[in-house]
Amino acid sequence: MTDRSTAADRPLLEATDVTVRFGGLVALDRVPLTVPPATIVGLIGPNGAGKSTFFGVLSGLIRPRTGTVRIDGDDVTRTSPQVRARLGVARTFQRLELFGELTVRQHLVVAYRAKRRRTLFDLARALPLDLVGLGNRPAPGEDETVDRVLELLGLTAVASVSASAIGLGTGRLVEVARALASQPRVLLLDEPSSGLDARETHELADVLARLRDEEGVALVLVEHNVGMVLGLADDVTVLDFGEVIARGPAAAIRADAAVQAAYLGTGM
Amino acid sequence: MTTYFVAGIVVGSVYAIATLGLVLTYTTSRIFNFAHGAVAFFVAVTFYQATVNWGWNAHLAGVLTIFVFSPLLGLFLWAVLFRRLTESPSSVRLVSTIGLSVALPALAPILYPHIDAVLQPSMLWSPAHEYTIFGVHVDSNQVAVVMAAALIAVLLTVLMRATPYGLSVRAAVDSQSMAGASGVNTSFVTAVSWMIGTTLAGAAGVLLGALRGFTILQFTFLLLGSFAAMVVARMHSLTLAFAGSMAIGLLQELSASQQFQHFLEHFASPTNPIILGIRPSIPFIVMLVLLLVYNGLQEERFAIDTRSMAEPVREVVVGRDQRWWRRLLPIAVCLVGVLVAPEFLNGLWLAIVASGLALATAFLSYVVVTGDGGMISLCQITFAGIAAALAAQFATNHNVPVLLAILLGALIVVPIGMIAALPSLRLGSLYLALATLAFAQLVQNTYFQTPRISNFGQGVAVPRPGGLAGDRAFYYLLVVLFVLVALLVRNLERSTTGLNLAAMRSSETATATLGVNIVWSKFVAFGLSAFIAGIGGGLYASYAGAANMNQFDALLGAVWLAVVVTWGIRSITGALLAGLSFTIIPQLVTDHLSGRWLNLPTLFFGLGAIALARDPRGILHRATTRRHERRIRRARRNAEPADRVAEPIAAA
Repeated sequence: MTDRSTAADRPLLEATDVTVRFGGLVALDRVPLTVPPATIVGLIGPNGAGKSTFFGVLSGLIRPRTGTVRIDGDDVTRTSPQVRARLGVARTFQRLELFGELTVRQHLVVAYRAKRRRTLFDLARALPLDLVGLGNRPAPGEDETVDRVLELLGLTAVASVSASAIGLGTGRLVEVARALASQPRVLLLDEPSSGLDARETHELADVLARLRDEEGVALVLVEHNVGMVLGLADDVTVLDFGEVIARGPAAAIRADAAVQAAYLGTGM
Repeated sequence: MTTYFVAGIVVGSVYAIATLGLVLTYTTSRIFNFAHGAVAFFVAVTFYQATVNWGWNAHLAGVLTIFVFSPLLGLFLWAVLFRRLTESPSSVRLVSTIGLSVALPALAPILYPHIDAVLQPSMLWSPAHEYTIFGVHVDSNQVAVVMAAALIAVLLTVLMRATPYGLSVRAAVDSQSMAGASGVNTSFVTAVSWMIGTTLAGAAGVLLGALRGFTILQFTFLLLGSFAAMVVARMHSLTLAFAGSMAIGLLQELSASQQFQHFLEHFASPTNPIILGIRPSIPFIVMLVLLLVYNGLQEERFAIDTRSMAEPVREVVVGRDQRWWRRLLPIAVCLVGVLVAPEFLNGLWLAIVASGLALATAFLSYVVVTGDGGMISLCQITFAGIAAALAAQFATNHNVPVLLAILLGALIVVPIGMIAALPSLRLGSLYLALATLAFAQLVQNTYFQTPRISNFGQGVAVPRPGGLAGDRAFYYLLVVLFVLVALLVRNLERSTTGLNLAAMRSSETATATLGVNIVWSKFVAFGLSAFIAGIGGGLYASYAGAANMNQFDALLGAVWLAVVVTWGIRSITGALLAGLSFTIIPQLVTDHLSGRWLNLPTLFFGLGAIALARDPRGILHRATTRRHERRIRRARRNAEPADRVAEPIAAA
């Protein structure tokens, strides 16, 4: 586990010195993060520590005051969410952002096809087909990928159910499935286990570990379920009030006195 | 010059009174009341009725209408409408108040049939006392209006900043439920603010009536002046709202001064319609410029949610109630009806139904931009009008075959539609609605007024297509074209682009992070909708024989939206029925009721939009869901409780 996190390969996603202010409030203060390929990086911290804000910065929804975000070493700090998606970043949302009028399967289809229509030329070429009625045929490889991801997350049974009719727990899994269907290299997961019961959480943890080990996907995991993060992650960053208070392998974090005091309390 | 200055201050004061009311209701309930001007109009004509037709003393009537009738009207509107809107998606809030802005002015002539715009009763002194202050001539009424505006601004500021009421308002704005939990009576707070807001609208209305006359047109200008001031105020600053109103009033009046006219003569002749159009367009120019450059509005995008008419759809498994014959039945019935109709209709009714079909084609543009794209556009009628005007130019002045001319006209409005989509790229749905409204008014005041287009108010001739000039032949052509455009819309909805639009309607953020090109999707929705509106507009003009711009009045655009919402803005059948009812119902009213009831259909459409804003599939869908729910309930009673798929996501 530790050999992976200290591997010398170039990080897939890297943030340095990210600072975000909302008015007078410092939401993030020079926060760094390094995500090598095929690793799970945990991001923990109490409510209001800035975890979701940091995800906003990584996925391009929030522009930081200072600092840079790099993908494959290229500076993408000023690029849009779309550009980052094309470079292989996908994310889920803590507050579910499902498409209420689409079926579960259609969520994955939207995600898969977004990759196929990258350039303005692709889009312009596809539009006439869409208008004459040839625009609803599956893209090459779409059915296999979508079916496989549905299977992986146990969503096959609800594939044709409208997203407005599924429960919170299933909704979390749809968020993950949708992100996976875009075939990301880095997957940012914002509280994926909240709303899941113990068995579902366990299954999700298995899926995440398999994604890393079998598919080589890098994951950034924001979680309240500290046990899950410490069990899964290769490397953990602890945030408190927008500042990094600890960084390192999961085992070291578990033992860190500062973390114990600031966050984990005596309950661990 | 000083005369214009004084007039500007007075007009600005009236704007300010209205705008302060808008700010108050917006900050307490997050509802931008598009019907604010309509409320002002309604109160004003009530005052007119009381003084002129019932012979009440003007001072008494003024006090009663402003301080008794207006708050009661506000309380009533709050109880039946605004109270329920606070928790609705922003598009529902918008459409409901647009519906109200259609319904109220239509109700006025039904209640008060004898309003004559020539008389301008005033609740102030008549004749007014004249003074000279620092060499400037003013009269007592002008002084009273300005002082009233200043007093209201001060009182409202004190109310909001320094009283427990203001604190409750701010608490209620942050979180209704939280404020409620900590003992703030949010119902009371919002009800009172709607009462004050309506009172201010009423006061502005009565004053404006005395200044400018009791026509809805004047109140539209009041409304748009206030909207521009609201944008200046970023929707919430009382101070900026006051200053903005004054500035717009001043700009408007000063632009009428000789100095400014001389200045303009450097650029164009004084009779140039663009020059003539500038003065009435000042609020929209201000609004458009601010919407495009104002940076503070960007943050509002997430505060004013971008969620669209994406109320959770009720069916649990998509397609369960959608057996193919059930889905196709309404459209099949409509089409058969439309196809056999010429056998039973005389010349007049054939014409009525045919223009309904042309309009239905134009209404399909709402299905694309609002139904599918989730964006509220108030300038679809303008796209239709521009395309019709262009088609007339091509066909009459350049001898292009008419169908080709219509196609060309519609193609030219595609890039115009894309330009109109620009505000939607960075702003929320409220600002988009305002920007499209401003755009529609701007085009109407300038381009539509040019002699080449307006042709002395008759419009330029648009011939019927050669060989299909007969009423019946052209009727069938309209049917075919409607079906073709409807297929285009249906194909779009089922395509990847359609999927992306449906995704965007629910969560623009999530769609963006998947890598879907949001800008492209919005351009496609707006561009295609402009094209469809253009085709419909061109056909409408061709059937009528001329492209008369009065039929593409920006205000009428709100009625278009209302009628489409009533029948279902996400449904092709809805667009068809909307088009047909838009021409058939008024004709029925003309045939069977007295002139007093002419506005009855508009009232219906306005009320329909209010009632059905929540249901993007309109009246038809409302009926089928009811039936479906009854069937489910029956099945549940009969069968054992089956496994429910899951609880709906309620609190997530």
